[in-house]
Amino acid sequence: MGDETRVPIRSDTDIVVARQQGRTLGAQLGFSSSDLTLIATAISEVARNIVSYATRGEIILRLVKQGSQQGIVIIARDQGPGIPDIAQAMQDGYSTGNSLGLGLPGAKRLMDEFDIVSHLGQGTTITLKKWAVRYGAVHDSPPAVDGLGRRDKGVGRPGRLG
Amino acid sequence: MAVPILKHQDYLIASIQSLLTDTDLWHLCDDLAAQVGQVRARGVIVDVTVLDVLDSFATRVLCAIAQAMKLRGAHTVIVGIQPEVAFAMVQLGLSLEGVATALDLEEGLAYLDRRTKGTRNHGG
Amino acid sequence: MIDPAERATGTSNMREMEITEQEIAHRKRFLEFEEEDIGRLVEVNKIAEGYAEPVIEAFYAHLLAFEDTRGFFRDPEVLAHVKDMRREYFLRLTQGNYDTAYVEDRLRIGEVHERIGLPVKAYLGMYNFYLRAVATRLLTAYNKEPERTFPTFLSLMKLVFLDIGLAIDTYIFQREHTIRIQQEAIREIPTPVLQVRERLLIVPIIGVLDSSRARRLTDQLLHAIRDNRARVVVLDITGVPAVDSRVASHLLQTIDASRLMGATVIVTGLSAEVAQTLVTIGVDLTKLNTVGDLQGGIEEADRLLGYKVVKVEGAWGRHDQPEGR
Repeated sequence: MGDETRVPIRSDTDIVVARQQGRTLGAQLGFSSSDLTLIATAISEVARNIVSYATRGEIILRLVKQGSQQGIVIIARDQGPGIPDIAQAMQDGYSTGNSLGLGLPGAKRLMDEFDIVSHLGQGTTITLKKWAVRYGAVHDSPPAVDGLGRRDKGVGRPGRLG
Repeated sequence: MAVPILKHQDYLIASIQSLLTDTDLWHLCDDLAAQVGQVRARGVIVDVTVLDVLDSFATRVLCAIAQAMKLRGAHTVIVGIQPEVAFAMVQLGLSLEGVATALDLEEGLAYLDRRTKGTRNHGG
Repeated sequence: MIDPAERATGTSNMREMEITEQEIAHRKRFLEFEEEDIGRLVEVNKIAEGYAEPVIEAFYAHLLAFEDTRGFFRDPEVLAHVKDMRREYFLRLTQGNYDTAYVEDRLRIGEVHERIGLPVKAYLGMYNFYLRAVATRLLTAYNKEPERTFPTFLSLMKLVFLDIGLAIDTYIFQREHTIRIQQEAIREIPTPVLQVRERLLIVPIIGVLDSSRARRLTDQLLHAIRDNRARVVVLDITGVPAVDSRVASHLLQTIDASRLMGATVIVTGLSAEVAQTLVTIGVDLTKLNTVGDLQGGIEEADRLLGYKVVKVEGAWGRHDQPEGR
């Protein structure tokens, strides 16, 4: 089980590969089926940008830990022309059917964290993160009383000794 | 990977069998455009049940297919969008506006029947 | 004595309850508990060890004599355990270390008593008995130096009040914790997705619709549409107290996603105020399929699905009333 995967992006077939790798890696963290689809979709969006505008680049997928949280990081990096106006690129063009939109605001909505660095003539790096929910899916109940009888997460029961 | 297109009565059914690349999707659009004219189909069903992701690009192509079919006098209905995919699409802000959708093949056929043959009851 | 196992886990009541060392120092200053007090308490330590046992016995005999406190100590194991804890507690009062470990210990004891359900009044009543019992014994102990009795008693009283404050803190903290859990449980109640007829789902949304709840609801609904092959969904928002732009956005997303799966969504229970809010936010109400109330929504759904509801004559009986009236 590796926790980093690099997928070179040169053509549209690579987009599918990157998506699948994202699913596989995300599954290791126990993301829900719904979240895995969000991750795969986000990868699809940023990977396509690379194909459409930068011709080549790579998608780096990585597992990451922060305190008690675990998550997946998606880095879409290219040495393309760069984005001239990032603020404009981050505006929602979808509702108007703007086919020139880069899909960045959408990708941002799918993930928990989003970062973009882009310089004209040098390229673009987009970093996306999604954190796995601590207790798994909705239906999990909080952990019960712990060994000390302390009610950290559950409701206490009278009669237990300290 | 070409998508098999079947003829069923007055309709064409494009049943996507595996994950498609962008190129495959455009080819599907071209193939449908060509065949609709040839067989004078009145309706087209695109079955995306198998697709685990429908992103902005795929959505654009599906819209383009519907447009192209309309120009050739055929109704289009997209069927088989899965719950997680539908959810991801609306999060991205994609709603396939203006394109008919149905739950599955059976519902898609019922839709086309209503559209092309009036109020004939088809399978309920 | 803190159970070594507990110390090893590193859990801290102080941290959990957000009581800092500065706070404790502040409380000591407030109670005017100073070095001199510590000195006096340490001086009676030997004597305290002597009267520990009899005071504790008398103390629990007192508790067992009363109906409302007896019940907590019916189990001999529980009783033995709390007596031990009491003894430790007692002895610690005069050992001179009133530091963080001391505070943690006091918080833990409070927690135990709260957990077994001992009411605050009983807990405070215990301190009352305790101070009086010790006062008498101090008098005896210092009968050769009576001028020391009162100052020592006052020092003990200051420390006991520090303890009472901590004990009450634990009670309050645990109560608030329970309230938070209950609130969370209420928020987590899933929205039912009900199949009422073939192809028709009804979703009565009740309560605040925050992002996480909306997300779960959408997920649930979309799966239900697939599993039930629903063509129409009636989404009733009568029970949603507030509809701001975020809630509206969630609802619209749910509607759009349902449509992608071939289902038509009818929104019912849209009050005039909510309609106004939506318009203000910029929602195009003409794009929404809305009907005033749930009944109307179901009737509209029936119409879309091709159902017709017909009243059968004479179903109830001669006078068209249910039997027995």
